Amino acid sequence: MNNDYNQTRPLIMHIDLNSCFATVEQQSRPILRGRPVAIVNRRTDNTSLVTASYEAKALGVKVGMKLRDAKLLAPGLVALESDPAKYRFVYHKLLGIMSDYSSHVTMKSIDEGIIDFNESTAITRGRTMESIGHEIKQRLRDEVGVWMRCNVGIGTNRFLAKTAAGLHKPDGLDEINHGNLRSTFADLKLTDLTGIAERNEARLNSVGIYTPLQFLDADVATLQKVVFKSVVGQWWHQRLRGYEVDDVSYEMKRVGRQYVLDSFNLTHDQIIKRLHHLCESVGSRMRAQGKSARGVYVYAKTYERGVWHASFMATLPFYSDQTIFALVRQLFLDAPDHIREIGVHCYELQDLEINQLSLFNDQIVRERRTTDAIDEINKRFGDRTIHSADTLGTGIYVKQKVPFGSTRYL
Amino acid sequence: MNDETFLNERIKVIATFSDGLNPCKPLKFKRPNGREVEITEIGLRYPTTQGNRMVHVFDVTDNQADYRIELDAEHLTWRLTREADHYE
Repeated sequence: MNNDYNQTRPLIMHIDLNSCFATVEQQSRPILRGRPVAIVNRRTDNTSLVTASYEAKALGVKVGMKLRDAKLLAPGLVALESDPAKYRFVYHKLLGIMSDYSSHVTMKSIDEGIIDFNESTAITRGRTMESIGHEIKQRLRDEVGVWMRCNVGIGTNRFLAKTAAGLHKPDGLDEINHGNLRSTFADLKLTDLTGIAERNEARLNSVGIYTPLQFLDADVATLQKVVFKSVVGQWWHQRLRGYEVDDVSYEMKRVGRQYVLDSFNLTHDQIIKRLHHLCESVGSRMRAQGKSARGVYVYAKTYERGVWHASFMATLPFYSDQTIFALVRQLFLDAPDHIREIGVHCYELQDLEINQLSLFNDQIVRERRTTDAIDEINKRFGDRTIHSADTLGTGIYVKQKVPFGSTRYL
Repeated sequence: MNDETFLNERIKVIATFSDGLNPCKPLKFKRPNGREVEITEIGLRYPTTQGNRMVHVFDVTDNQADYRIELDAEHLTWRLTREADHYE
């Protein structure tokens, strides 16, 4: 049965700073070490936790929980507002350390990344992965701080490396190879596997698969034709055996930002100002990636848990904050009352170069030059040095937060 | 909830500049009210930018309170910007 597992040397390393933001805060503020800490995006009891320290997690606190509920579980819980500059610094430190070992480093989010040693130098490959893992842990402590810990997982593919990194939190170092694959899976639940949450678990349960080992032993036809009903089944069959199927990169499809309103009784004009602020933020992010967009999408969630949304697709790509806001404002005329959350996205992104002459070229060129000049000034003198007068004063409410899941803006 | 006091005080700092991973080590600072704080640990040092100007942020402690002091790399001035003597 072992014959179809990937028996090559495990050369993929997954590094994960678990409870990253809370650990960084404890590093930064020594008084908080050993105490339950939660990171929130806004200082209200009703806010959800972005992350919690290991001390808080040990008391039952979970990420996503309301701060009010978390305080009941952990009475001494210290809630701190997130500090993106600090986390960005640690991210770049970690990226720098990882890049010293291979030119094939992929950051999956602000607190986790993968080193592919398959094409690294002979000297590096001549060392054991375990010794490199220990060295990275030590370098993180030396170069960032003594409180920093990370989980290191080693495997023949990204999936097994990530699974290995989750085995002994918060300071583990584990390898999953063809020899210990079955024994490792024997101790796990289906939902411990990355990519298997409630819905996929139910699908697997429906064909009598209740454990990772049963999942591993399932034949490819069952997975492909019955469980996942697509090629995804075949990918899972390969992935579980240690063959790489996840080494793919995705092109950016959309740029967006959302915001939970700071008060429940804001007037329509005040909401429009915050929406304008989001448009400026989305526009600046989009241009920083060298993109323009043709589509804009706006949504609002209400206190009655309703969701309203509208979108518009333009013939020509747009670029400036003014154009984005003009389109959004027009769409927002139909928005409902009692709004709790707003969001703006630009989609159908394309590269900025003007390839085709347009009848309106003069106007477009003028708009681009003005926008570029504003971006240049903001880059030189600080974000929002120049912005619309309409958004004067919204900066204290609509703050930059940590972009989870994407490292594009770090 | 966040028992931090946000400040903007010009401070006098005694620091060493040497080699190593963290070459600049503030040891002690004096606040405008005359109070002197002896730094026992630098929690984290990280650079931020205010436009093109680099500001080095030091989160430090004297074991009684946590402080944030900032070195403006252009003007070579130090400021105390945060203080937290307890957390709830």
